[in-house]
Amino acid sequence: MDEKIKPTKIIDARGSFCPGPLMELIKAYKAAKLNDIISVYSTDSGTKRDASAWIKKSNNELIGVFEHEGYYEIVMKKTKGEK
Amino acid sequence: MSNRILVLGDGAAGTIISNKMRFLIPTEDADITVIGNSKIHYFKPDGIHIPLGMKRYQDSIKKPEFLFNHGINYVKDTISNIDIQNKKVTTKSGKEHTYDYLIIATGDRFVPEEIPHFDSEAHHFYSLEGSLELKKKLSGFKGGKIVIGPSSIPYQCPPAPYEFTFQLYRYLNKRGILQDTEIHYIFPLNRVFTIENVAVYIEKLFDEKNIQYHTMFNVESIDSGAKKINSLEGEELPYDLLVLVPPHKGQEVITKSGLADEVGYIDVDKYKLTYGDYDNIFVIGDATNLPISKAGATAHFESEYVASRIASEISGFVSDDKYDGSVACTTVTGDERAMTLYFSYNKPPRAVAQSKLDYLLKWTSADTYFSAMLRGVM
Repeated sequence: MDEKIKPTKIIDARGSFCPGPLMELIKAYKAAKLNDIISVYSTDSGTKRDASAWIKKSNNELIGVFEHEGYYEIVMKKTKGEK
Repeated sequence: MSNRILVLGDGAAGTIISNKMRFLIPTEDADITVIGNSKIHYFKPDGIHIPLGMKRYQDSIKKPEFLFNHGINYVKDTISNIDIQNKKVTTKSGKEHTYDYLIIATGDRFVPEEIPHFDSEAHHFYSLEGSLELKKKLSGFKGGKIVIGPSSIPYQCPPAPYEFTFQLYRYLNKRGILQDTEIHYIFPLNRVFTIENVAVYIEKLFDEKNIQYHTMFNVESIDSGAKKINSLEGEELPYDLLVLVPPHKGQEVITKSGLADEVGYIDVDKYKLTYGDYDNIFVIGDATNLPISKAGATAHFESEYVASRIASEISGFVSDDKYDGSVACTTVTGDERAMTLYFSYNKPPRAVAQSKLDYLLKWTSADTYFSAMLRGVM
């Protein structure tokens, strides 16, 4: 991930199975402000697909899905809603 | 020396674990006190049957006072503060309770106010009052669009919304108004259930019954004038009858006591069910933040583990057994059939087959619950 992108909130959902990480992401999204960047760490490969699908469906920006050693990182930007 | 075991909560989790511990620990070795303020103990799984006139609500409730085994001190009071530094719990009446072991089984609560107009527009079957209101509403229903589903995640008993949908389909068919009704099922994730293979199975059954489903639908608002609901994801759905599981949160006293964030679910060690560095504080049931179902079945399995562990410790035996997330639950899949799902942290459930025998198990579960499970004998 581009080092200039600094997540406003990081959710460490490693060890939790899907839909746990997506639930945590939606929870964080509800509490976030416009343009906040949320990053979720997950060891469950299903999260890549589920979280990406949800981010796109909710009309927010999927910054990227990154593979690290032993886990995935899904990064989104809240582009919908109030400041 | 006698140990003081304090259980917070008189719902399924608090009652089962207290009764189980009383069986396992001699009275001279431990005092067991339970604090709770429930007026009734309601067997919630019957909520899928009561609104449809399939069960009498009187068979699904008992007075909490009569559910504790001999040798348990039941205190009717409201918990106002949990002070884990000083091992002290304060209640609304001003009393202080100290402990050697603390079991937090305070459950969670409904927060319909998080969605404006929920109370005036939506119905649900998650409480006895809600089930009876919904029964009244359904009796006057002549056809139209019914929207059903959880408004958000997490919520108690994840299969209950689809179970109710299948039983509602049967009810509408019996009343001869199925052809005049559209059933729309909503779900917050990108499938109709939390577990993928079960979701595929349920989607197939929905397709066979022409039940329409809308996934990734987290309810954000209700437009009471236009009679439609709007999702966080930007979709809207019109309704004539709205059956929504209310949003849930953990108990306020948990947040106020500093044991959890604003949402109120407590982070616990998933294998030991302990809180933080405290080996004498356990959290079970809906109060936890664990990635497993918030259901009576979960509370039952967790109670089995925690009660055995505390009993072992008190008897002087150090156990390193771990809770593996095991849960089993029987869920209705329509046409007088049900299936039983078995799962753990490392093994998601598999939707294998539905059967009439499983439906019989579900149908008689209130009796099993009150006579055996709640009493700690199974």
